[in-house]
Amino acid sequence: MTAMLIFEIKKILVKPVNKIVLLVLTAALLVGSFLTLRDVTYTTEGGEVLRGISAAKELKSVKNEWKGELTEDVLWQVIEENQKILAETPNLDEAFVKQQGLRDIHEMLNNGFAGFDEWDYYRADSLSPEEAAGIYQIRVDSLKEYLSREEVKNTFSEKEKEFLISQWENLKTPFYYEYAEGWKALLDSQYLPTLMTLLVVILGALVAGIFSDEYSWKADSIFFSSKLGRNKAVLSKISAGFLITTVLYWASILLFTIIILGALGVGGANCPVQLGESNWMSIYNWTYLQKYFFVTIGGYVGSMFITLLAMTVSAVTRSTVIAVVIPFALSCAPMFLGRITVLTRIISFFPDMLLRICTYHDEFLLCGIGGKVMGVFTFLIPLYVVLCLVIVPVLYLIYKKAEVK
Amino acid sequence: MELKIADLTKEFGHFTAVDHLNITMTSGVYGLLGVNGAGKTTLMRMLCTLLRPTSGKITCNGRDILKMDGKYREILGYLPQDFGYYPDFTVEKYLLYIASIKGIRPAAAKKRVRELIAGVGLQKAARKKMKQLSGGMLRRAGIAQAMLNDPKILILDEPTAGLDPNERIRFRNLISELAENRLVLLSTHIVSDVEYIANEILLMKEGKILHNGTAAELLGTMTEGVWKCFVNKSEVEKYMKKYKISNMKSEAHDVELRIISAKKPMADAELVDANLEDLFLYYFGEKAGDSNADF
Ligand SMILES: Nc1ncnc2c1ncn2[C@@H]1O[C@H](COP(=O)(O)OP(=O)(O)OP(=O)(O)O)[C@@H](O)[C@H]1O
Ligand SMILES: [Mg+2]
Repeated sequence: MTAMLIFEIKKILVKPVNKIVLLVLTAALLVGSFLTLRDVTYTTEGGEVLRGISAAKELKSVKNEWKGELTEDVLWQVIEENQKILAETPNLDEAFVKQQGLRDIHEMLNNGFAGFDEWDYYRADSLSPEEAAGIYQIRVDSLKEYLSREEVKNTFSEKEKEFLISQWENLKTPFYYEYAEGWKALLDSQYLPTLMTLLVVILGALVAGIFSDEYSWKADSIFFSSKLGRNKAVLSKISAGFLITTVLYWASILLFTIIILGALGVGGANCPVQLGESNWMSIYNWTYLQKYFFVTIGGYVGSMFITLLAMTVSAVTRSTVIAVVIPFALSCAPMFLGRITVLTRIISFFPDMLLRICTYHDEFLLCGIGGKVMGVFTFLIPLYVVLCLVIVPVLYLIYKKAEVK
Repeated sequence: MELKIADLTKEFGHFTAVDHLNITMTSGVYGLLGVNGAGKTTLMRMLCTLLRPTSGKITCNGRDILKMDGKYREILGYLPQDFGYYPDFTVEKYLLYIASIKGIRPAAAKKRVRELIAGVGLQKAARKKMKQLSGGMLRRAGIAQAMLNDPKILILDEPTAGLDPNERIRFRNLISELAENRLVLLSTHIVSDVEYIANEILLMKEGKILHNGTAAELLGTMTEGVWKCFVNKSEVEKYMKKYKISNMKSEAHDVELRIISAKKPMADAELVDANLEDLFLYYFGEKAGDSNADF
């Protein structure tokens, strides 16, 4: 069995096109890491813009001055400090430099006071310390106010509204704050979902030939007429696809993680994700570490499902080309289809959503299972685990029963 | 070892490729002789469990081969007509892979692969990629993979097609060597192949076995004679329309014809002994005057 499995994997890796594909993946990983790091910036008092590791070092020291729970007292101090900076430094550019340490909290206040209305970059500057201290209550109130609006009346059912409110109320406050640039760069930017999409397309290309190539190479006659050709050899093909997906997925994700966290630091793992710029609305009360697990495990389940589907299509259609198209279509098409409002609900159940937990966890994507409302990702991950388990025996039987024509 | 084919039929849509075919084979070399489209490959695919019959069944020592599943394929070796392989594998790696799907343990497989590479004369090409091999070398690799599990039943679909005469003779000898103590079924439309190596010849036409037996037995089934005669070049066409011509040789003025006919085709025609080529033409040949004849 192991010998067969090793050969199956070699068959994939010796294909010249697959070697190129692996090079593309490596290049994308390195470029992606570089761009992600470059997005982290710090401006020195001299006006010089630092990037990457050196920026991280400075940011860490200024931000960690506010490390700890963001209690009313702390928020009070932040507002006072901010107002002091603005009073002393009328030039906004210079003020910006001094604000870098409290930028995250400033941003959080902007988010909180914008609620579901227009976002104002300078909103925090005009807040009184008393107002700022009420941020956690204001967060929940703004949701309640939003849900009672005429325009969203029919968007959510009563149960869904209850669920949303309870999730927001259950968020642990006061927030724990710490420098978390590493996690934010890793999980809040577009790079990770882009990397995952690319990974799926590449994994799809690698596994697409596992079943169909036997036919296109006309090696099927010998394969199926050999002793294990209709049982263990089929299993070893499925295992090869599973292993390639697993190893390549985790190797890429872990490499990306190690580069980003290695350069920017692992601090902030226990901060709530709502502290991140774009996560204020999230219905998932995760810490950054929890988000990391959800995002990467979800991505893994999604990738696995898509590659298994590509393999099944490869076995049914006997065409590598069609099989390659599947992961491509599944991971890219919904992005365009999603713009059509009628389809939004359906699209949110597509497997590609699992590659985009990063960016979609702050949208109110809900589903009701047996009368219980939950966030769509809470449902999607187990759903696709089950679908993977269902598709494997189907794939096995399709290939086992194949005839050579 | 007894391989019994009973009332075997395979239909593709309305077309019957193998038509209620019956034959029982034991050890020895069987040569399956038939024109293009006779159904040889279809029959062999069913023998290799690659196609399920429309009706009828194949049994090996009394047991249905489809029910035997892996147990049957364990004693089977198959060289397909359009032998496909993994282009980027070396010969050695290719054979080791096939050994693995034949359920041969890695240690035994290594030894067996080394033996077979030497046996089929591929030592120099062992480290070459499959896609770099010549047609003859590929066929050798093909026969080597079929022999990996030392099969009791060896099925070779046109193993000599496309080989040059030298290579064909060598290949034929190789098959003869390997044929001991097994059932070998090989298909061909090259008469001389079966003439040399087959103990028994199966004549297949339109999905049926017309006759089977040794060369001598089959020659005995011919009810027409073979006539050697010389005709003028201008008359050749006339004879071709009228008779089955198994051979034609141009001399200075005349043309020597081998005519298959019940009656003496002309006054000075000489009756000669029939050979397998004549037999082939007798059963499968068409006169140039027949419709659909493609000469
Ligand atoms: N999968 C298929 N679908 C439809 N028709 C088929 C199929 N396979 C074979 N046939 C038809 O069945 C007939 C027998 O084909 P087969 O390949 O068995 O002949 P053959 O004796 O091996 O011929 P050749 O000497 O050319 O290899 C042919 O007319 C062919 O067109
Ligand atoms: Mg054929």
